[in-house]
Amino acid sequence: MLGHAACWLSGLLTLFLLLFIVIFLVLKGIHVISWDFIATNPKPSLDQNLTGGIFTPVIGTFLLVAMGTLFALPWALATAIYLAEYSEGNLWVGPIRTGIDILSGVPTIVFAIFGLAIFTNPHLSLFSTMVEDVANAKAFGRSFMVSSITMAMMVLPFIIKSIEEAIKAVPSAYREAAYGMGISKWRTIRKIVLPSAIPGIITGVVLGIGRIAGDTAIVWLCLGGSMTLTGTQPWWQPQNWLATLQNTGSTLTTYIFYSSPAGEGNSPDKAFGAGLILIIIIFALNSLVDYWGRYRTLREE
Amino acid sequence: MGKMELENVSVIIPEKASSTTGFFTKPRKPFKEKIIEIILLLLTVLSSILIFFVMFFVISKAIPVLKASGFSFVFSGGWDENFLNAWQTSGEQSALKFGALPLIAGTVLTTSGALVFCLTFGLGCAIFLSEMCPAWLRKPLESTVRLLAAIPSVIYGLIGLMIVVPFISKHLISNELSLRMIKICALDGTSLLAGIIVLSMMIGPIFIAMASDAIKSAPKIYKEASLALGLSHWRTIVKIILPAARNGIVAGAILAAGRAIGEAIALSMVTGSVANLPNPAHGLVFFLEPVRTLASTIVDNAEGMSVAACESALFACGSFLLLSCVLLSLFSRIFSGNLRTGGVSDK
Repeated sequence: MLGHAACWLSGLLTLFLLLFIVIFLVLKGIHVISWDFIATNPKPSLDQNLTGGIFTPVIGTFLLVAMGTLFALPWALATAIYLAEYSEGNLWVGPIRTGIDILSGVPTIVFAIFGLAIFTNPHLSLFSTMVEDVANAKAFGRSFMVSSITMAMMVLPFIIKSIEEAIKAVPSAYREAAYGMGISKWRTIRKIVLPSAIPGIITGVVLGIGRIAGDTAIVWLCLGGSMTLTGTQPWWQPQNWLATLQNTGSTLTTYIFYSSPAGEGNSPDKAFGAGLILIIIIFALNSLVDYWGRYRTLREE
Repeated sequence: MGKMELENVSVIIPEKASSTTGFFTKPRKPFKEKIIEIILLLLTVLSSILIFFVMFFVISKAIPVLKASGFSFVFSGGWDENFLNAWQTSGEQSALKFGALPLIAGTVLTTSGALVFCLTFGLGCAIFLSEMCPAWLRKPLESTVRLLAAIPSVIYGLIGLMIVVPFISKHLISNELSLRMIKICALDGTSLLAGIIVLSMMIGPIFIAMASDAIKSAPKIYKEASLALGLSHWRTIVKIILPAARNGIVAGAILAAGRAIGEAIALSMVTGSVANLPNPAHGLVFFLEPVRTLASTIVDNAEGMSVAACESALFACGSFLLLSCVLLSLFSRIFSGNLRTGGVSDK
């Protein structure tokens, strides 16, 4: 009986934990959020009311998500297709899977310093900027490009896993029918298997997006701590896009870290506002995955 | 009538087939298939050897400090002084000696503390979710666990900093206690306890999800046989279902431990970021002392990256993290290899 009570208690505790977090964030954050908050740039100020909004962090989050997905998706898709369709009878598949598995357990902070170690190499300075006035040449190693490539490595194993599951869930009758009509293997995969696996692929991508949008360590180290976009201004003009990508900025997560009492820009109210917006984005992505999952099972039935 | 339709069908089918022959009259060249397969294989191999690249770069950058410090990296303290020294002398040979004992202790303490919470409340929640939950509550609870697992760590850090830390400093730390301890460390609420609480909120959902999956995949006939023999539901859970799900639960705990070890931002926000070794001789104050983990050190001292010695020291922290996480991953593979003991399917 005691055990029953304890289990009920811890189950309800989990439920209340989420309610508590959400209600707390909403209560603290809702009065900060306005159109001005979203559409103005952050400004350094000691007065909390003058610290501006979260425009550039939101842009940074979307930029990083888009570029990270752009780098990770083709790579993950190729790996998943190979593992699901071609790997039969290949003795090396065991070690390959182990390698990918271990990669999924590597902490993001390690990816972050790995990215720094690679991209501070002066030969790779086209991904970021050169540090001037230093005796031994060194690239700065912090930019949107560097952090999105590092992000792509971080989410790679997760996307691979969900795409592979989606491909494996495609009924083998589809493939056999295609082979029976004399269609080659690659064409079968491209025309039959991948289109049927699209909901699963989207699920994987959305999971990856959630991880990219929620990660702080990589952004803090590989994108730097500047809150606004530091490329040539104005950044929205096409000729400055490349410079923007080569320079630093911020995302919602680093904005929260920076604005919290632990960071330098001490404006906790703004941090709560940004946190609420981030949570809304993440929850929306999750319900999208839910929706696709339900849609898929419904269609299969 | 029926016969007519059948005849119609039999007429139509060859027509359709002949109209689609265009699809495969042009045979694909085999070498194109071959090239595609090779490209896919190369990308696959690349994604699996990425881990070796990561290990190679992180460890090779860490070697100067690890070589100079030797075993004292693990067994001696004084990280903050070492770091300041290396920063000021900008990397002379003498400044390469670092002692990371407080950081390693901080990592082990926060992780094991969070695991204790996980294995009690988390396991309780997993049992509740998979065995006792009323049908109307199951769906909301499942979504709750999933959403909690998806909340970014920086938000847990923010909540820890704005709720847990003030609570500790208001209710658990009295003025005279902080006066008494002022010579050793500042007690301002950012503490080991806050770290453990925030970390268990973070890794709890991951553990719950894995453990409840493991419990659900325990063979149903075990449970039915046990209930048929007249054992109570609780006794069945404890004696039959949990042992059958043991491997999955252990794999979940290992996964959660890996996440806890690598967590940087949230812990750097709530544990005080002082490389302090909590002293068990202080009794329960032990939990109120600030600590710092290996991962949050990298975040806190990131500005030192421009000095070679400091950079190498941070990579040494990173390589310790990396190696422990790789070991944990390998270890959890052993357990998740056969989630179902007994080899009985639940159909």
